[in-house]
Amino acid sequence: MSTLLSLFPLVAMALPLLGAVLIAFRPPGRAHRIAFGVSLSVLLLTFGMMQRFDWDHGATYQFANSFAVLPEMGVHLSYGVDAVAMWLVILTAVLQPICVKASKTAVTENHRAFYAWLTALQAPMLGVFFARDLVFFYTCFEFTLVPMYVLISLFGSTNRKKAATKFFLYTFTGSIIALAGLVYVAFTATKNGTVAWTFDIDTLASAARGMTLSEQSWVLLALMCGFAVKVPLFPVHTWLPLAHTEAPTAGSVVLAGVLLKLGTYAIYRFVLPFVPAAVVEYAGVIATICVIGILYGGLICWVQRDVKKLVAYSSVAHLGFCMLGMFALNMVGGVGSVLYMINHGLSTGALFLCIGMIYERYHTRSMQEMEGLAKAMPVWGFFMVFFTMASVGLPGLNGFVSEFMCLLGAFQSGAIGIGRGGTLGTLGPWYAVIAGSGMIVAAIYLLYMVGKVVFGPLREPGDHGHGHGHEAHAEPNALPRDLTAREIGVLAPLALGCIVLGVVPTPFIKTLEPSVAAAISHAQVAAKGALSGQPGVHEIAEARP
Amino acid sequence: MSEPAGILGFMTLAAEGGHGAASSGGPAWFAAVPLLPLAASILCGLTIAFRVKTKLPAVITVAALAVSFGVTVAGFLSWSNAGHATQIADIYEWIGVSWGSDAGQTLSAKFGFYMDGLSWLWMLFVTGLATLIALYASEYMGHDVGKGYGRFFAAFALFVFSMACLVMGDNLILLYLGWEGVGLCSYLLIGYFFQKPSAVAAAKKAFIVNRIGDLGLAVGIFLTFVTFGTVEYGPLFEMVRQGVDAAGRPLSGQWQEWVIPCLLMIGAFGKSAQFPLYVWLPDAMEGPTPVSALIHAATMVTAGVYLIARTMPLFLLDDSHFALTIVAWTGTITALLAATIGMAQFDIKRIMAYSTVSQLGYMFAGLGVLTSVGAAFHVFTHAFFKALLFLACGAVMHGFAGQLDLRRLSGVQKMPGWRIVGLTMLVGCLNLAGFPLITSGYFSKDMILAQAFTTPGEVIAGSRWIGWILLFTAGLTAYYTFRVYFRVFVGPQHFEPGEELHAADHDHHGGHDDHGGHARDAAHGHDGAHDFHPHPPGWAINSVLVILAACSFLAIPTYFMMTEHHGWVGSMVHSSTAFVESPGSHHVEGAHAERLGTFLGMDPHKVMYYVSGLVGFIGIGIAWFLHLSGRTGAATSRADALLPMLGPVPRWAQNKWYVDEFYEAVIRLPLWVLASLFHWFDKLVIDGLVDLCGLLPRWFARAIRPSQSGVLQGYAVGMAGGLAVILVIVLIVMGANV
Repeated sequence: MSTLLSLFPLVAMALPLLGAVLIAFRPPGRAHRIAFGVSLSVLLLTFGMMQRFDWDHGATYQFANSFAVLPEMGVHLSYGVDAVAMWLVILTAVLQPICVKASKTAVTENHRAFYAWLTALQAPMLGVFFARDLVFFYTCFEFTLVPMYVLISLFGSTNRKKAATKFFLYTFTGSIIALAGLVYVAFTATKNGTVAWTFDIDTLASAARGMTLSEQSWVLLALMCGFAVKVPLFPVHTWLPLAHTEAPTAGSVVLAGVLLKLGTYAIYRFVLPFVPAAVVEYAGVIATICVIGILYGGLICWVQRDVKKLVAYSSVAHLGFCMLGMFALNMVGGVGSVLYMINHGLSTGALFLCIGMIYERYHTRSMQEMEGLAKAMPVWGFFMVFFTMASVGLPGLNGFVSEFMCLLGAFQSGAIGIGRGGTLGTLGPWYAVIAGSGMIVAAIYLLYMVGKVVFGPLREPGDHGHGHGHEAHAEPNALPRDLTAREIGVLAPLALGCIVLGVVPTPFIKTLEPSVAAAISHAQVAAKGALSGQPGVHEIAEARP
Repeated sequence: MSEPAGILGFMTLAAEGGHGAASSGGPAWFAAVPLLPLAASILCGLTIAFRVKTKLPAVITVAALAVSFGVTVAGFLSWSNAGHATQIADIYEWIGVSWGSDAGQTLSAKFGFYMDGLSWLWMLFVTGLATLIALYASEYMGHDVGKGYGRFFAAFALFVFSMACLVMGDNLILLYLGWEGVGLCSYLLIGYFFQKPSAVAAAKKAFIVNRIGDLGLAVGIFLTFVTFGTVEYGPLFEMVRQGVDAAGRPLSGQWQEWVIPCLLMIGAFGKSAQFPLYVWLPDAMEGPTPVSALIHAATMVTAGVYLIARTMPLFLLDDSHFALTIVAWTGTITALLAATIGMAQFDIKRIMAYSTVSQLGYMFAGLGVLTSVGAAFHVFTHAFFKALLFLACGAVMHGFAGQLDLRRLSGVQKMPGWRIVGLTMLVGCLNLAGFPLITSGYFSKDMILAQAFTTPGEVIAGSRWIGWILLFTAGLTAYYTFRVYFRVFVGPQHFEPGEELHAADHDHHGGHDDHGGHARDAAHGHDGAHDFHPHPPGWAINSVLVILAACSFLAIPTYFMMTEHHGWVGSMVHSSTAFVESPGSHHVEGAHAERLGTFLGMDPHKVMYYVSGLVGFIGIGIAWFLHLSGRTGAATSRADALLPMLGPVPRWAQNKWYVDEFYEAVIRLPLWVLASLFHWFDKLVIDGLVDLCGLLPRWFARAIRPSQSGVLQGYAVGMAGGLAVILVIVLIVMGANV
C-alpha cells in the first residue's frame, strides 16, 4: 500500500477538525453550509477509500501507517482499516451530511457552536474505526464524549443538563474500568516489565491470548464493564433513553447510528480476539444478558408514552440481537452482527429523524397528544411506516437479513450434535428461540407506535410551543405540514440503503467474511478445546481438519 | 368507456415486452411472474408521488397482473410439455454466507424459483384471481380515486409479488420473505381506512398474531438448516427422500423428525388462521372487500396449506405422523368451531370470514388425513367460490352504503340491477354448501371427507371421528350459507342503508378536507331510507362475478380429467413434493382390495356422494324453513322463536366463544402488566441504583467537608492520627513477618 493512500485516514480525520475550527471563526450564517461541505468532502473521501479498498483481502488492514508519538512509551499513531472497520467508516461518513442537513431548521440559535461540535465529533468517531494502537483508540473513544456532551447539554430539550451529565459520567466510568483491563493486557505484553511497552493492538492480542483463563476472565469482565455500557446491554442501559430523548435530533442520530456501534465494535475488536477462552467460557452468560435485554427492552417500549423514548429503548432490544449474534462465535452470527451494526444505524437513525421532524412541527413527543398524522403528513407517514418495517425486520429490507443471521448464528452455535449445519460454540437453539420471541415483541411495540402516531383519526397537538418558554419565540422557519424537499432528501438515502442492504446483501456479506473469520478464529479454536469432551465434537473435529 | 381500451392497449404492449423476455430463453423468464406485479407496485407508488387523479393505478395493476397471469399460463404449458419435470431457475444469490467448503457450511438463499405442479397450481389461481379482483376493485374503489386509489393498488400489486415469492421460491428463506411480505400487504390493506380505529386495530392484530406463527416458521427454518445444512428444496427433499441428515446419519428416531414439522405447522396455523391463531381473520374484514376476497379468502390464507403441502416429505419422515395428527385435529376443531360462530353472526361479511376459517380447517384436516390432493383441490375450488361470495357481498355493501346486517336487507336479488349479483351469489352459496353434483365445492369437500373415513385410525389417530365431525360441520356450513342467501337475496324486498358505517366513516374523514364519494354516500345515509337508492354494480363488478361463477363450474370437469390421479389438480400434486400415497388410494392396483378402506361396506367416495349430499340438503332445508318460508320482513324469521330454547349458547357463539376476551385476559393483559412492571423497575430500581452511585461521591464529600475547617489544630490532629494508623499497620506487618 503506497504512502499516499495511507494519508486517506489522516485526511478524513483532519478534515472535520479543521472544519470545526473554520466554523467557529466564520459568521454563524455560514456554519450550516461549511459543516455540510466538510461532511460531504469526508463522504467523498471515504467513497474514494471504498474504491481503493481491496475487498478480496478484507481481513488485512489497508491504508495502514504508523507514526511514533511517544516511542519510549511505545505509543504510536498507527492506523488501518479492515472490511468491518471500512463499512463502519462509510456508515459514519454517510450519516454525517444527513445529520447536518436535518439540523438546518431544528437548530435555531448558536449555530456556530452546534455545527462546530457536530463536525468535530466526526473525527474521533472515525479515529476509533481507524485505530491500530490502543492509546490512539482509547483517546478517540473517550473524545467522542466531549462533543456529544456539549451537543446534549446545550441543544437538548428540557432535561438536557441531567441527561448530558449522566451520559458523560456513566460511559466515562465504564471506559475507565475497560482501560484498567486494557492496561493489564499491555502490562502482560511487557512480560511483567522486562520488555518495552507497546500498544500495538495485534501484539497485545497475542499477549492477551497467552493469559490464563482466570486472567482472561477478569479482563473480559473489565472490558465488558466499559463497552457494555456503550452498547448498551441490559443492566447498564439507563443512560441511553435519557440521553436519546433529550438530545437534539442530529445528536440522537449520531448516538444511535455510530456511538453505540463504538461499543459493539470495541467488543468485536478487543474482546473476541483478546480473551477467546474467557469468551467461550462466558458466552452463555453474555448471551443470556442479551436475551433479557431483547425482551425487557422490547416490553418497556410498549408502555412508553414518549415516542422518542420508545425508539430509544428499542435500541436496547436491537443491540441485544447484535451482541447475541456476535457471541454465537460463528460466521453467520458474526457477519449478522456486523450487518446489524450498519442496519441499526440506518433504520433507527432514520426513525429518530422522522420523530425529529414531528418535534420540529409540534414541539411534543407525547403519543397522547398526536394521532393519525398520516392524514396531515402522508409523505412523512410513508417514511415512518417504511423505517418501522425495516426496524421490525421485514424480509426484503435490511433489518431482516441481520436479525435472521444473528438468530440463526445463535441457533447453530453449539448445535453440532444435531446435524452438519451446526458450529462450535456455546449457545444453542434455546437462545435463538427465546430471543426470537423478541421479533413478536418488536412487532407489538413498533406497530403500537405506528398505530398510534401514524394511523388513526387525525389529532394534531395544539399550539404547544407556548407551553415551552424557550421554544415559543424561536419559530423563524415555518415548516409546511408535510415534509419539505430537504427533509425528503435527508430520508431518501437512508431508505435506499435499507432497500439495497435488504435486497442484495450478499456482496456486503462476502466482503465481511474474511474479516469476521479472522475475528472469530481464536474463539473457534478455544471453543474446540473447551468442548472437546462433549459428544459430537470429535466427529466434527475429525471431519473438518 | 375508454378504460377497457386503455387496459387492452397496455396489455398488448406489455405482452410484447413479456414475449421479448420469453424469447431470451431459459426458464429465467418465470421471473416475470413476480416482477411484473412488483413493477406495477412501484409504478402505482409513482402515481401517488405525481398526484395522479385518474384510474391509472388500476389500469397499470390490472394490465401487469393480466400479463403475469399470461406468463404463468405460458410457463405452465411449457412445463407440461416438458413432461412435468421440476424446473429450477436461479436469478441471483440473495443471502449467502460460507464458513468452509464442506456440506452444510454454506448458508445460501437464492432468489430463484422451484417450479413443480404445486407451484404452478397455486400461481395459476393466484395470478388469475388477482387479475379479476383487481378489475373488480377498479370499480369498487372508485370513490377513492386520487386519494387512496394509488396506495390501494400499490399494496395490492405488492401482495401478488410477495405471494409469488412465497409460492415460487426455491428455498425456505425466500418463502419466508413472501410469507412476511404478504403479511405486510395484509397489514397495509386491512388498515386501508387508516383513520378508522377499528381498522388500525385489526391490521395490528393481524400482523402480530401472524408474527407468532412466523416465529414458529423461522425456528423451523433454523432447525431445518442445522439438520440438513441447506434450505433449498432440491437438496433438502433429496436428503429427506434418503432419510438422512447432512452428515449422512439416518434421521429415523431422531427428535428433529417430529420437531421440524411441528414448528412449520405453527407457522401454517398463523397464516391460515387455524385454532388457536384464527382470531385475526374475522377482524381482517375491516379491509376493503376486494382485499378480503383475494387475500383473506382465496390466496394468502391458503399459504399455510401450501407450506405443509410443500414440505410434506418432512411431515412424512415421522412414522407416527405426530405432526400430521395435530394438523388433522386442529383443522377439524377449527372447522367446527368457526362454523358454529358463523351460524350466530349477523354481519354477512363476517359470516363469510368464519366460513373461510372453517373451510381452511377442512383443508388442514385433508392434509392431516393424508390427502394432499383433496386439500389442494379444495384450495382450488374454494378460491373461486369464496372470492365470488366475498365479491357478491362486497357488491351489496358497496350498493347499500355499507350495509352488511342480514336483518336489514332482504330480497336484494329482485331489485332492479341486482339479478347478476343474486344469481352469482347463489352459485357461490351452492358451492360452499356442497350442493350435490353441480358444484365443485361438493367434489372437493367430498374428497377430504372420504379420505378421513378411509385413512386407518392407526395412521392418523381418530381419523374416523374427524370424518364424522367434518360431516356434521358440512351440515352447519350448508345452513349458515343459505341463511345468508335466504335472508338477504330472496324473500320480501326491504333495505336500510348502512348509516352507522358511513356516519363513522364521515366522522373520521370529515372535518379536514372532505371529499366527493364519501360525503355523497353519507348524505344519503343521513337522509334516511326514503331518499336512498341502492346503486347496482357496473360492468366491471358484474363481469368479474360472472367469470368467477363460471370458473367455479369449470372446476368440476377438472375432477373428472386424469382420473388415475384424482383429477387435474391431483395430477399437478402428483408431480410435486406434496404428493402423498393416500392410504387406500384407488390407483394402487393389486393392493387395491386390501388397502382400500370401506365405509358402511362400500367405497367411501361413493358413500360420501350420497351422505354429504344429503347432509347438504338437510342444512339448506333447515335454513329454508327457518329463514325463508313464511318470512314477512327483514328483521325477523322463524329462527328467532328457536333462540330462547337454546339458552345462552347463541350469544356465546355470537361472541366467538369469548376467545378474544380469553386472549386479552390471559396473554395481552399480563404481558402489559409485565411491561409496566419492567418500566417501573427500570426507572426506580436500575436507574435508581445508578443515581445512588452517582450520589455516593457527593455524600462522601459532604461527610468529610466539616473536617476541611481551615483550623490548623484540626489538620495537626489529623496528621498525627494518620501517622499513628500507618505506624500501627507497619508494626502489624512487621510483627507478622517476624
